[in-house]
Formats: sequence, C-alpha cells, structure tokens
Amino acid sequence: MTVAEERTAPAAAGTEPPVEPSRFSLRHPKSRLAWIRPSMWAPLAVMLALLAVLWQWGAEKLPYLLPPLSKIGSSLRSDLGYYVDNALVTLGEAVAGLAMGFAAAFVLAVLTSELPLLRRAVMPIAVVFNVTPLVAIAPALVVAFGFGPLPKLVIAGLICFFPILINIATGLRSVPREVLQVYRTMDASRAELLWHVRVPTALPFLFAALRIVFPLSIVGAVVAEMSASGSSSGLGTAISVASSMNQLPVVYASILVLAVMGVLLLLVVTLVERRVLHWHDSAHD
Amino acid sequence: MDGSVKVTGTPALELRSVRRVYGFGPSATTALDNVELTVPAGRFVSLIGPSGCGKSTLLRIAAGLEEPDQGGVRVHGVPPAQACAAKMIGLVPQSPALLPWLSVLRNVTLPQRINKGAARRRERIAGSIERGTSPPDMRELLVRAGLGEAMHKLPAQLSGGMQQRAAIVRAFGLRPDVLVMDEPFSALDEFTRESLQDQLLDLWDELKTTVLFVTHSVSEAVRLSDTVVVMAPSPGRIVDSIDIDLPRPRKDRLFGERRFHEYEDLVRDRLRSAWRSEAA
Repeated sequence: MTVAEERTAPAAAGTEPPVEPSRFSLRHPKSRLAWIRPSMWAPLAVMLALLAVLWQWGAEKLPYLLPPLSKIGSSLRSDLGYYVDNALVTLGEAVAGLAMGFAAAFVLAVLTSELPLLRRAVMPIAVVFNVTPLVAIAPALVVAFGFGPLPKLVIAGLICFFPILINIATGLRSVPREVLQVYRTMDASRAELLWHVRVPTALPFLFAALRIVFPLSIVGAVVAEMSASGSSSGLGTAISVASSMNQLPVVYASILVLAVMGVLLLLVVTLVERRVLHWHDSAHD
Repeated sequence: MDGSVKVTGTPALELRSVRRVYGFGPSATTALDNVELTVPAGRFVSLIGPSGCGKSTLLRIAAGLEEPDQGGVRVHGVPPAQACAAKMIGLVPQSPALLPWLSVLRNVTLPQRINKGAARRRERIAGSIERGTSPPDMRELLVRAGLGEAMHKLPAQLSGGMQQRAAIVRAFGLRPDVLVMDEPFSALDEFTRESLQDQLLDLWDELKTTVLFVTHSVSEAVRLSDTVVVMAPSPGRIVDSIDIDLPRPRKDRLFGERRFHEYEDLVRDRLRSAWRSEAA
C-alpha cells in the first residue's frame, strides 16, 4: 500500500472504463487506501498524543507509580533482545496451549454434537468450568505440573478450551433444518454431513471463538508464569521479577510488548478469517 | 377419501391408511388421518389445501423425513428410507437451502459426491429410472435453467429466484424417481414464480420424473399438474382428486383459455366445500 501503487491504479482503471475502481483507488467505496485520509487516522493520533501528555504529566507527579515514557523506550531499545526472547517464550506457550485446547475442544464438540447423551453429560460441566476463574485454578495446576513449560501449556489450553468448545458445538448444530432435510433425503452419512455441511457451517462460530481465544491464550500463559514463581523466562516472569525489584520501566515495557503481541495475533486471525470466510457476511465489514 | 388414479405396474408413490398425530392427550392434533394416495410413475401431482391440512406432513412422510404413526408408505415398492438410501428422492424445500460457502456449480454437484453407494442400491429396485452410467452434466443443466452466468457465483450473490432455480437443478441432478417440492415458489414474486414454473415444466418434460408438489396456489396447481389432490384440515385428509386434462407442453396461451379457468374454478369450488363441511 505505497503511494506508487496508488498512482498506478487509476491508470490501469482508465483502460477499461466500466470496471469498478481498484481497491487501491480512493474512489473505491472500500478502498484499501482509505486510511491515508486524515479523517481516518487523525482521531487516533490525537488521542494517542493526548494520552502520552497525560502519562508524562502523571509520571512527573507520581514518579513511584508511572515511569516516564522515555525510560520505557530506552529500556526497550537497550534490552531489545531480552524482551524478544521472553516474548517468544510466552508466545510459544500461548500458541502451543491454544493448539492443544483447540484440538481437544474440536474433538469434544464433534462428539457432543453427534451424541446427544454425551452433550447432556458434558455441557453443564463445561459451563461451570467456564465461569470458574482460571486465575484461581492456576496455582493448583503449577503445584500439579511443576515449574517447567507444562503448566503454562495446560493453563493456556484450558483458558482457550471452553470458548472454542461452546462456539463450535453451537456452530455444528446451527445447520438450517431444510438443508439437513435435503441431505437426509440423499441418505448422506453422518461423516459426509459433518464434513460437507456441519463443519463449514461452524466456521464463522469458530472464528468468533478464535478472536476471543488468541488474546486469552496470552493471558493464560502470563498467569501461569506469574503463578509459577520459580519460572526462568517469559514476559509474565519478567513482570513479576521486575516489579519485585521496583523496576517500573521494565514492567511497563513488558506490558507494552504483551499488548503488541496480542494485537498481532488478532491481526493474524482477522487475515485468515477474511480468506477462509470470504463467503460469510462477517468478512465484508 | 381416495386420491387414487388408475394404476399400471408399481406406482411411484403409495400411501395406505396413513395416520400421523402430533402431541399427546388433549393437545394432540391429527395432522393426517386415513390418507390413501397412489401416484403412478411419471405423473405431476399437486397437493393443495389450507394451512394445517397436513400437506407438508404428507410430503415429509413420502420423502422419508417423518414416519407415519399408522399405515404404510411405498416408493416404487420400497419403504421411503430405502428409496432415500438409493437416492431415488429429490427434495426441493421452501427455501433454497443452498450451502453459502459453495459456488452454485459446487452446490449442485455436491450430491454426486454424497452417498456413492446409492447407484448400486438403485439398480436392485425394480421400476426405478434407468440412470445410465455417467452422472448428468450439471453445467448443462445449469445453463438450461438460465444459471450459466451465475455458475461460479456464491448463492448470496444471486436473487431469490435464481437461488430457487439452483435448488431445483440440484434436485433434478439426482435424476430422482420422485421429486418432492414443498411450496418451492411461495417466497417469490409473481413474475419470477411464473418463469420458474415454466422452467420446471421444461425440465420435467424431458426427465419425466414423478413429482409431488405442495402448494397453496390454485392456479399454480392447475398450471403444473396432471392431478390436483385437494386436502382439508382437522383432521388433515384428502377430500378430492382432480385430473387436469390439459395438453402439454402447456404454454402461456393455454392459461388464458376457458378450460384452464374452469379447472381453477373446479379446484376452488372443492376447496370451498371442504371448508364448508368443516364449519358445519
């Protein structure tokens, strides 16, 4: 999305007049260049500047609570390797945990949608587990699984498990009745129905769950790192060590890195969703 | 009480003393009571009647989507479940029921990839349509239904009428012995409906499958059918069966003629007398 692309686009459109304008042209209703209009970016820029000024003012008044932005920045710059290493550890735990939670939730969702008895047995328990705060369970899991990576994977996986389970289970059962009737008159097998009809129907529900669960997996990993006081790495560990030593710039720099990581994960989900769900209304917002 | 027509050979569809009750105790409603219907192969039969007369229930029972509480159902001499297993039944529901993530072409070809053992089972059922070895050319069927341009589009990019046409092509693509259609045009505007009726007749003229067509439109029933079966509610039952003796192919000119309107009046009259006996 450079300026050069913008210049070439109208020329290309000029050769075939009836074609709708390129998405890189500002005339396209959903132009990918819309963000270069000040009305698109200015509000956010002004808001960020305002927050930065407020922060600096707060840092001067309350030096023990807020470090100045410059110190956070210099900590990030001088110890970039430290932050990247720990971020990768946390990210690895989060994504691996998410993958485990996803696999387990998907299998259970399929089983419960195919076996109503199992659904009635499992779903109430799943709902109760889902409303139990995981932060409360985390220390017990650390005791159970030790200080290695395992409790982090388990906690990240658990926190992702229930939103995925409930969403996919709902999605698999939300096939319109008339669609089911059409394929029942062809005597489609359960596996055929599942693969050709139910799973694709559940995809929008799955992506809704992934949007929730990708950021949550980081929460799970950080909570696990903080609960396991003997952990050696990860941003959660970095935050608890730094705050115990009153190194506020390191704490806030770590938080900033976590936030950026969450945004990047969300971006990945959104991009994949646009690809996979191009047929669905939600992809055209 | 008898919707039978003269039969030679195994009828395409046969219902004997069919009874279907929904609910229990005092709130139970008799959706169908003592329904007798015989449809010879190749006929176009419409079920018409006010809502609650059990016409959709009858259709679901014929298509094997529901079991009767009493009585017997046979499709080409076998139970509906067996007919479904042999892919002898094509269903066109009220809504198009297309899969929104598949293009029109993939929507209508998906049935060929489902239940592949059906062809073998079908050979063993006497009297079913000879289907040949190769599946029908769905592209050609789509073109004939006016969906040539829309073949690679997603259902959401099509109008309601085009979506319903795709649903009809999907059902015809099965080369079904019995095509069951549940008010397939009721959600469409009048112009679209008439053009779809014409296209349906075109396809049917060629494939000569048996059609069971549920509708609440008198002119639609007369226009399309060989036989119009009139039904009445509480309990749902068949009150009359009227053969429509009009030449085919039926073209626009016919629908302005007196004999067409006489059939319409006849069906309306029977519907009304069913109502009146109801009120008495």
